[in-house]
Amino acid sequence: MIIEKVKKINNSEGEFINHYLVNDKYNVPKDEANRDYQSILAWVADGNTIQEAD
Amino acid sequence: MALSKIDVANMLTGATPVANGGTALTSGFQNGVDPRPSTVPIIQNGDMAVSQRATSVTGITDDGYKLCDRWYEYLSSLGTYTFAQEAQTSGNAFNNGFRKAFRIDCTTADASPGASDEFWWGIKLEGQDLQLIKKGTSNAQKLTLAFWVKSNKTGVGQVNFRDTDNSRMCSGTYTISSANTWEHKIINIAADTTGAFTNDNAESLQIQWYLDSGSNYEGGATPTAWEADSAGDRNASGNLNIGDNTANDWSITGIQLEVGEFTSSTLPPFQHESFGDNLARCQRYFETTFEVGTAIGASTSTGIIRSGGNQGGRTSGRMGHGFTYPVPKRSAPTVVFYDNSGNSGALARLDQGSSTASNKNATLAGGSQKSFEVTSTGDSTADCLNYHFTADAEL
Repeated sequence: MIIEKVKKINNSEGEFINHYLVNDKYNVPKDEANRDYQSILAWVADGNTIQEAD
Repeated sequence: MALSKIDVANMLTGATPVANGGTALTSGFQNGVDPRPSTVPIIQNGDMAVSQRATSVTGITDDGYKLCDRWYEYLSSLGTYTFAQEAQTSGNAFNNGFRKAFRIDCTTADASPGASDEFWWGIKLEGQDLQLIKKGTSNAQKLTLAFWVKSNKTGVGQVNFRDTDNSRMCSGTYTISSANTWEHKIINIAADTTGAFTNDNAESLQIQWYLDSGSNYEGGATPTAWEADSAGDRNASGNLNIGDNTANDWSITGIQLEVGEFTSSTLPPFQHESFGDNLARCQRYFETTFEVGTAIGASTSTGIIRSGGNQGGRTSGRMGHGFTYPVPKRSAPTVVFYDNSGNSGALARLDQGSSTASNKNATLAGGSQKSFEVTSTGDSTADCLNYHFTADAEL
């Protein structure tokens, strides 16, 4: 997956649900066992920033 | 078939009984006992029967899980390929019960790969499924890998077992002797008393069939004993170079991994599973509502989920739907939603079962190894939701 943007996902109460929306398509869990979350961690380590939820 | 003669003498002594005076069973079974320490194959989908994502993919230039379930390819700047789940109708693999194979065709060649370019195909396995090997202990077991392979090219291919918990590797080679002919290959892998596999759901072992590479992965020696991972050893003996010509192809099926050391005459038979059992084991890693043979993200309502309707009646407000996976995933998966028109990140709001408003926002409200909930924020009047999904928990 080539990551272009990452945004937190909140529930209707505004609480973070431990998932991120990547490229407006992929719902990625905050779980180090998930290979896409590993990609997010690498993307952040490269200096990129996760956006807050809408 | 009735037996005209029962070899009681051999049965009583523990020797292999011979039926009708014919050929004795020469597989790894001894005295009728299956030598395997597990009841199901260690490797999933070794017969390539399950291919949920696609049955053919063109223009492949990067890595990923593209075709038959569980089988991964790493490709870095070394040509372009078509992958196909190829039906078998004749040949040695077919004659041994294999009806599908994973076929790779080179469509854009790269005969002079850069030093760091590589192309390998293989599988990644969970550590908790490999504890029976007893790696890293004084009781560590040898392994035997067997498979059917075919290519237009003759030559030597290298297969690596890479312990990703402890950065170790051990390898073997196979020789394709006759072009365009299915050949059965067996590779024995040494036991390793160093470096235990972590007992969890993360990746511990990669099995890699190297198909081509640049100089960074050549120049060393193929390690037939376990050693510290060494890039220069990974394709030290391989000379298939599948990427060097658009005439090249490479196919494989019937892959089995056995605990213990076997030869062609003692290898236990391939453990064929029912399609349903095979699919369920694959769904631990990947699942989709798109039908087999339908591209992910296609415009179709076949297989689509229709939520049970809004208990409050029609609404233009928020609606949600929960889904429980038929097979719990390895870990919480990455989920993608699609509507009936092929839009990703979207679903359709359905009104009275007739009026369908597509391309409406699909928002995950929660997800785990076992289930998810998707919601649709306020929009067009509807009484239920329509959506496809993929759930990916591959290693």
